[in-house]
Amino acid sequence: MTDTIVIGAGLAGLGAALRLAQGGQTVTLLTHGLGGLQLGQGTIDVLGYDDQPVDRPFDALPAFVAGHPDHPYARFTPSQVKAAVDWLAELIPDQLVAGDGANHPVPTALGAMRPTYLVQPSMVWPHPTTVAVVGPRQLRDFYPTLVAANLERTAGVTATAYHIDLPARPGEADSAPVVYATALDDPAFLKRFAGLTAKVIGKEDAVLLPGVLGHRTNACARLAEALGRPVVEAHLAPPSIPGLRLNEALTALATSLRVRVILGSKVTGFEAAGGRVAAVTLHQAGRDQVYAADQFVYAPGGFESGALELDSYGHVTEALFGLPVLGADREDLITGDFWADQALFATGVGVDAAMRPLAGATPAYDNLYVAGGLLAGAVRWTEKSGDGIAVTSAVAAADAILRGE
Amino acid sequence: MFEPTSHEHNVLARASLDQCVKCTICETQCPVMAVTPAFSGPKFVGPQAERYRHGLSVDHSLDYCSSCGTCTLVCPQGVQIAELNSVARAAMKKDHMPLRDQLISRTTLMGKAMHPVAPIANGVLGFAPARWAMEKVVGIHRKAAMPTARSQTFSAWWKKHTPATPPTRGKVVFFHGCAGEYFEVETSRKTVEVLEHIGFEVVVPKQGCCGLPMQSNGIFDAARDHVKKLSAALDVEPGTPIIASAASCAGMLKHEAREIMGVDDPALVTVGARVRDVSEFLLALAEQGELPLDFTPLDLTVPYHAPCQLKGQGMGKPALELLRLIPGLTVIDAEATCCGIAGTYGLKKEKYAVGQAVGKPLFDKVREINPQLAVCDTETCRWQIAAATGAQVVHPVWLLHKAYGLE
Ligand SMILES: Cc1cc2nc3c(=O)[nH]c(=O)nc-3n(C[C@H](O)[C@H](O)[C@H](O)COP(=O)(O)OP(=O)(O)OC[C@H]3O[C@@H](n4cnc5c(N)ncnc54)[C@H](O)[C@@H]3O)c2cc1C
Ligand code: SF4
Repeated sequence: MTDTIVIGAGLAGLGAALRLAQGGQTVTLLTHGLGGLQLGQGTIDVLGYDDQPVDRPFDALPAFVAGHPDHPYARFTPSQVKAAVDWLAELIPDQLVAGDGANHPVPTALGAMRPTYLVQPSMVWPHPTTVAVVGPRQLRDFYPTLVAANLERTAGVTATAYHIDLPARPGEADSAPVVYATALDDPAFLKRFAGLTAKVIGKEDAVLLPGVLGHRTNACARLAEALGRPVVEAHLAPPSIPGLRLNEALTALATSLRVRVILGSKVTGFEAAGGRVAAVTLHQAGRDQVYAADQFVYAPGGFESGALELDSYGHVTEALFGLPVLGADREDLITGDFWADQALFATGVGVDAAMRPLAGATPAYDNLYVAGGLLAGAVRWTEKSGDGIAVTSAVAAADAILRGE
Repeated sequence: MFEPTSHEHNVLARASLDQCVKCTICETQCPVMAVTPAFSGPKFVGPQAERYRHGLSVDHSLDYCSSCGTCTLVCPQGVQIAELNSVARAAMKKDHMPLRDQLISRTTLMGKAMHPVAPIANGVLGFAPARWAMEKVVGIHRKAAMPTARSQTFSAWWKKHTPATPPTRGKVVFFHGCAGEYFEVETSRKTVEVLEHIGFEVVVPKQGCCGLPMQSNGIFDAARDHVKKLSAALDVEPGTPIIASAASCAGMLKHEAREIMGVDDPALVTVGARVRDVSEFLLALAEQGELPLDFTPLDLTVPYHAPCQLKGQGMGKPALELLRLIPGLTVIDAEATCCGIAGTYGLKKEKYAVGQAVGKPLFDKVREINPQLAVCDTETCRWQIAAATGAQVVHPVWLLHKAYGLE
């Protein structure tokens, strides 16, 4: 009954499942746990840094790829990447602001401006001259004084820090972000929050608040209205509430397109015959269960989700299919310098244009496709390229399947 | 403290906590932490506090964990968070188990006591002063959902029952659970009738309680005895599937007894691998093209809630897929985390309000989608949803039974 099985529920897995379901396929999504969307910032990075901050990622891609010939982006033209990212933005227009080719600067939890491509409406930087940075004392991990001081250096603004006292729940001294975001979903609480904020701030052009402005509601828009000026959400340390919102929006869309999601079991084995993967084994409660399909998209992330493993002898392996890992045979996989580039991070699986993993020069299996963090050649978190790679490779794999390649 | 050789001690010492990368994904999904500051959340109480326990609890907010298992389900690193917490709670409560927790975990006892005097028992439970006394004396909240006793047990029905049609395919063993014997008699009967209708010969061995309510209250020794006895009882007709209409009890046999209580019993391993939730079994048949699809259309829209202990089995939501095969029937996944009952958690007077707050998003969905009728695979969750919304809440097999024209 299943045309394609997708493994993994990060941006790559969800993206592939959505694209295939839109294309009319019956899709089953197998995932051990939730994916990494809420560990990110709830934005979509395409290319943030090529040593220096990047302003227009698609224009910067040709030079970047020339310098990184083994990078996943080397498989795509800039317009392919742009089309994939635009497709994602159109899927969830309430959550993502359509891109215009330029990166947005977004303030981090430390008050640095980070370049990213797609932002949520609550993150559009209004290029203010003066900013009020406001944080409730009863929320974990947001320090207005630190943020304001750094913003003055990184964003060329005059920033002033303010604190308010408003526990998310009576007696709670250090709420988790999700608790605070849920409290702000309540109109009465939001009104008190806006009132206290209005009382402390001055005449600043804009207000920067921690990224907890509503879990299920758009608290940011309501606060902007109440405060009469733009309100911006700053990133926090994980869990990212904006990331949670993206994850929930994409997952809800997938289930509405009848993607069958099986959460909580790990794929631990597979069966292959005649150069094709026939089925995978899911380690379910009580027993292992075999799931067959015509095609398989493997989107398990990288080291961070256990898809790549490093043993004590320095061997890097891909955990499920035993696919060859590019760059794994280098002597200098890890250097002692913490800040240096680690060759280990760029290891991963090589693919052809249809995203089929390669064993030598030919696809390992005719009907197996790889997307996202498993791909070799990128250091996603320093380049700020992981989301773009995930979406573009997911779309490429899904389109190859839909074309019958 | 407890013996150094016991499972409690071993698990506390050798937990999977080192796999935790502090991503906080579990915190964002915990339904209890979302509604009360009394519980400091699965990451703190689980992999974090575990480091300091050395067999003793360091954080009594642990008692507010409902053991719904959502954290384990969503953790991408395979940390057994809920299991750790269940074991730690059992250790914490070991020497001072409240009488209330011992009473409410004996479903069979309740059933045995209530069914011969069903009208009277139901009357007492519906009588406000009696419930007030129960809350004061025993600690069961006066508004908590209580099961309705039936005058006829499932066994009594089964003894007199003959299949409507002779079997045309193999045998299956039926596991009804203790609620299915005394309270959810209709669900048990309908499951048997559906299985027989599609050609199976149903075998029903004499069976007792799986021990789940005791386990979730931390009464491990008694729970272990029960699950072992049940495994021995169900270990008949080797190789045939064991079909369960009680989704959480199926979870107990499949994995919880081993993963939470360390029950090491060969019959449990065999039985655990043979158990299928009835929807899981029927959906697998459908996928092989072996399920008759001659359904009468049901012109209905119903909300569906997948109970935590069903989701915890890591097989998705089979009832959702299965019911969608019935023409005319629109099944909407309520997409709620938990109904708030979590076995017996939501009955307790100090946790009742937490349970109601946990269930609120689900109750709102039910009222919005169909305030008359909802679908859910587990009995205690059905009672909870019904009490909160006033809707009739049925097991998925009820709709199949109707669509097969078996009324
Ligand atoms: C600390 C950190 C910071 C980062 N910062 C950035 C950043 O700023 N910008 C950026 O672009 N990128 C960043 N990244 C990278 C980012 O996580 C990825 O680029 C992107 O989100 C990867 O998405 P994915 O879908 O490929 O994998 P993931 O989101 O990791 O999802 C993998 C999924 O596969 C599942 N899975 C894995 N193995 C199995 C199996 N055997 N069976 C079943 N399911 C399985 C997992 O449960 C999970 O759901 C960062 C990564 C880390 C670790
Ligand atoms: S989800 Fe797992 S890894 Fe993440 S914080 Fe919770 S226990 Fe740790």
